Amino acid sequence: MTVARTAVVLGLVLLPCVGPAWAHHAFSPVYDSKRSETVSGVVTEFRFVNPHAMLVLEVKDDHGKTATWTVEFAGRLNLSEIGWTKESLKPGERITVTGNPTHVVSHQMAFVKIVKADGTVLEPAAAQRADVLEEERRERARRRTESK
Amino acid sequence: MPSKLEGMWSDPPATAVGTLCFFACTDAAIERLNALLDDPKNDARPFPQLAAEAQKHQTDNYLRPRLTEAALKTYPLDPADDPGFLRCEPWGLARQIFAPHQIQIRRLANDRVELHYGEWDAHRTVYMDGRARPAGQAPTRLGHSVGRWDGDTLVVETTGIAENQMIWRARHSDQLRVAERFTRSDDGTMLHLTATLTDPWSLREPLVIKRNWRWAPTSTIEAYDQCKPPIAVKRGVAP
Repeated sequence: MTVARTAVVLGLVLLPCVGPAWAHHAFSPVYDSKRSETVSGVVTEFRFVNPHAMLVLEVKDDHGKTATWTVEFAGRLNLSEIGWTKESLKPGERITVTGNPTHVVSHQMAFVKIVKADGTVLEPAAAQRADVLEEERRERARRRTESK
Repeated sequence: MPSKLEGMWSDPPATAVGTLCFFACTDAAIERLNALLDDPKNDARPFPQLAAEAQKHQTDNYLRPRLTEAALKTYPLDPADDPGFLRCEPWGLARQIFAPHQIQIRRLANDRVELHYGEWDAHRTVYMDGRARPAGQAPTRLGHSVGRWDGDTLVVETTGIAENQMIWRARHSDQLRVAERFTRSDDGTMLHLTATLTDPWSLREPLVIKRNWRWAPTSTIEAYDQCKPPIAVKRGVAP
C-alpha cells in the first residue's frame, strides 16, 4: 500500500508554524491543516518557481493502478532561503511525501515533509526555524532561573 | 545616498520576535509575546501557540479598536476572496511593504531610490527630489512615493494609493497615507521598517506597524511568473 491516510491529526502538529509559511496567498481556503496524508511514489517533475513550487508524483495503489499527485510548496523565494535548488528533487527519485490534503480536490496536498529513499528528510523553512527558536527559549529560561 | 541601507535584505533571523514579525507586527504583539515567553508557566507550550496568542492580542487590543465602523463591516476579509489568490493580482502598497522575503534598496539616479521586493517581484520608485504627484493622476496600486534622508534614516511618504486591502485582512480607501522610516541596526545586520498608516475611512487613529529584514548580500530575487489561480477553494476558513 503506497497511500496512507491519517484521519484527523492534532492541528498543532501540522499547522504551518507562525510566520514563515505561505506568503502569496492564505493556506486555509485550499488546504486542510487538520488532516494529513502520506503517499509514496516516483517524482516526474519538480517546478522550482514562484509563487509556489510544485511537485508531480506518480503513485501506485495496491492494485497497481497509478495516480498522479501534485504537491504544492512555498515559493522558490522561501525555499531558496533554506538551501533548496531546482535539483533538490529529481525526476525518477522515489520519495515519501506527507502533506495536508485540499478541502475539495483529490490527489493534491501541501508539503509538510518529504523522506527520500536514502533517508534524507526535507522540511519547510518553518520547521528548520523551530529548532533555533526552542534553543532561544531554553536560553531565556536558563537566564530567568539564574536571575532568581 | 548614504550606503548604509543600499543592498539586499531578506527574512529576519529565527528568533522569537523575528518569527512573530516575519510578515509584520506591532509593539503590542511583541510585548505580549515577550511576557508569555518570560512566564515559566508557558515553557512547555509550543511556540506557534504563544505566537498565535500574541497575534490575537494584537488583533483584539490594537488592530480592531483602530478600525472604523466602515472598515469593520467587511473585517476580517475572507482569504478565499483575496484577488492576489483568485486572480493573481499583485498586492497593493499596504500589503506589499510588509511582504516576506527580500527587499533590495538601490539608487537608480541622484533623484530616485528603488525598492525591489522578492514577493511579486514588485518595484517601487521613491522620488528623492520631492516631486508632487502629477495633478489628476488616478490612484495606483503602489501609489506615489517621495523620500528624504533624515540622517541615516530613509523617510518615504506615499499617497495616491488605490482602494485595496491592507495587511491583516482589513480594507482601506484611496485616502490612505503611508509614512515609512527605514533604519539599519547599529551592528549593521538588520534593516528595520516602522510604517505609519493613516486613512480617515478605515482607521480611527494611525496604525504603526513594524517589519525587519536581515542583511543578505548573496540572496537573489527570482522571476515571479508562475502564478496560477486556484482550481477550487473553500470560503469561510480562517487562516
